[in-house]
Amino acid sequence: MESSENGSGLNSNLDRRTLLKGVGVAGLAAVPMLSSGMMSPAEAAGQSLNFTAWEYQPDTIKSLVATWSKKTGNKVTTSFIPNVGYTAGIQARQRGGKPADMFYNFAYNSQKFVNQKWAADLRGLPGADAMVADMFPSSRARFVAQNGAIVSVPYFAAVHMLQYNKKMVAAAGFSSTPNSLQETYDQCKKIKDNGVASPYVAYWVKDFVEEYLHVYLLAGNVKPFDDKGNPIFMDDPKTLDVLNWWQAMYKDGMTPKSVLTDDPGKHTTAIANGDAAFYALHHYFLRDIVESKGSASADISQAKIVGTGGKTLQMGEVVQMGAKLTGAKKAAAWDFMKNYGYKDSAGQFTTFQKWASSGALCAPYPGFFTDPKVIAAFPKYMDLTLIGDTFKTASDVVPARTLPWYQGFQAQCGTIIHDLLLGNSNARATANALAIACKTAKSGSGL
Amino acid sequence: MKREEPKRSVSNRRFGFYLAFPSILILLLLLVIPAVLTVFQSFYVVPADGVGIGEFTKISNYSYIFSNIIFWQTCLRSIEFAVIFIIGSTVIGLSAALLLNEKFVGRLVLRGLLVLPWACPWLIVGIIWKWFLDGNIGLLNGILMRLHLISQNIDFLSNPKLALWMTALAAIWRQSCLVALLLLAGLQTLPREVWDAASVDGAGILQRFRHITLPWLRPALTVVTVLNIIYGLMQFDVIFAMTQGGPGSATTLLSFLIYRQFFIFTNFGVGSALAVALAAVALLGGLIAVKTLYRKIEV
Repeated sequence: MESSENGSGLNSNLDRRTLLKGVGVAGLAAVPMLSSGMMSPAEAAGQSLNFTAWEYQPDTIKSLVATWSKKTGNKVTTSFIPNVGYTAGIQARQRGGKPADMFYNFAYNSQKFVNQKWAADLRGLPGADAMVADMFPSSRARFVAQNGAIVSVPYFAAVHMLQYNKKMVAAAGFSSTPNSLQETYDQCKKIKDNGVASPYVAYWVKDFVEEYLHVYLLAGNVKPFDDKGNPIFMDDPKTLDVLNWWQAMYKDGMTPKSVLTDDPGKHTTAIANGDAAFYALHHYFLRDIVESKGSASADISQAKIVGTGGKTLQMGEVVQMGAKLTGAKKAAAWDFMKNYGYKDSAGQFTTFQKWASSGALCAPYPGFFTDPKVIAAFPKYMDLTLIGDTFKTASDVVPARTLPWYQGFQAQCGTIIHDLLLGNSNARATANALAIACKTAKSGSGL
Repeated sequence: MKREEPKRSVSNRRFGFYLAFPSILILLLLLVIPAVLTVFQSFYVVPADGVGIGEFTKISNYSYIFSNIIFWQTCLRSIEFAVIFIIGSTVIGLSAALLLNEKFVGRLVLRGLLVLPWACPWLIVGIIWKWFLDGNIGLLNGILMRLHLISQNIDFLSNPKLALWMTALAAIWRQSCLVALLLLAGLQTLPREVWDAASVDGAGILQRFRHITLPWLRPALTVVTVLNIIYGLMQFDVIFAMTQGGPGSATTLLSFLIYRQFFIFTNFGVGSALAVALAAVALLGGLIAVKTLYRKIEV
């Protein structure tokens, strides 16, 4: 891998393995004393910060920010950018000389932002190592770059799950949800024969289908990238099985033809009203399905996407710190970020408790799933233990997804996968095209 | 007395300049400087952090895009979209203007309604039309079913052969309202006596349209065509909301490539070169339109 892909500009003698080994020790040995000339949160009071987020539950965000402000005596100006176009909006602010002090970001942009000196490396900040040490091992790679830089804190985390209609699965003669991709097809076929025109729905639109590439590769026991972030999926024969399965699901009508442009709201309505049996997407979509109170909402439950053997994709977005902060302002911003993406000063998952209650969002910490307040706040119709177990043992963040070049690959995936689904390409050609897309993204070229 | 006139003229010109100065300044800041910068950046490798200008690369950004098959495929698709958009919005807008220029009950209400689509932002238009054309629960499929014109739903947006036409249709819906408003204003300046005289002379409705209405509307049509060329070639929001450029690359236009270069690859040099190429196509289209339509006026 070229040096730029490893995060040039983040010079460090530590590699990720060393750091991850060390964080446990560092976490235990963490002292309240603040290093690197950082001030304590109390000393950092009275700062004016600005925070940029996208518009998911803005009132919840405002309330979380207000609570922290009140507690610490710092002023935070929160601004919202619509979800559509957030990437462009946040970049325009950076380039325009009005960078945010703390800001939401997509995980796939996070290392790139640090490399471009738009976001700070959080190494050395008090409690940063402890935060990483507290995460699921499977989650750490999203926040820690290959050179050891800590690029972000969690905004939320989620796993892909299979929302399914219990009655439809049982009526088709199956005692459990599918345990392989082939079983998924077989169950869909039987349910389709029983009269459900399009049993399987998923958010396969052009800009999002890359997540499913990993969901299905992981379900098919394919490791997409090696430890250095080089693509290896194209050399694995199982990749072709996965791609052939995917194409068959679309071509044979297991999904609606419109699935290439349908949004999650439509899928939610479809499964909630009994027009679909399976809906593969992040775990928290079960909340929308149940709360939409459709005719079949009460029949919907949740299972791992592939019940045995395979893993699914663990995703989540992040909060980053602006690169220009220093002194008291930096200390205040870091306190805000710890509060927002980890624990408050009392050691409570206050922010995540709120998100658990208002959106069924999770945090990538084992402690989150055993926290009594989180358990009390999480929707009762969701199996928090199952979700926690998926985080712990059956999911992978695919570390390459946060590498600086990755967004260039992500942007090309949609066209390539859609061509496969539409029958314009076959599995072999698709695997090759995806590998070439990785190469062009890494070289910074490609239209 | 002879000396006073030029003095007043200079004074008037200066006063005019003062009045126009705020607008000139805004245009300079928001239009001219960014445009010049874009041309400038298209010859450089621009650092992604936006600080400094980077290495001068002569025409390598242009060589790169012109040697890429994706650019030419997308360019052709953009022109195809623009042609559908220009013809569709002009024809529908002109028809609506002719209709609304006639006297009938409810004319004023309809004229008022004409403003509504134009008041919708492009992104909202895209969202509305996405639901209207939905392959499962869309209103259009429902109407066609009720009329027994189709026996099963049509996937308007997931079908690569239909998607470009459907996104163009959504954009036409909004733009034709503006066209209708502009042409209606032109029609209302047409003296009724000219029409009446032509009728007395035995000219039929088509002859009157061809020899009186169209020539009268040519200045307005020139403006409308140039606007349509610009909107057609620069279209992004409607398609982004409806298909995100998919399925596959069926609705990926040049504006998408520019967006991708700027905000995903953070490759400002290539993005700027693409923007200049798109502007050149729009300029060429605009010049051809102006030249053609104005020449006809002179004849």
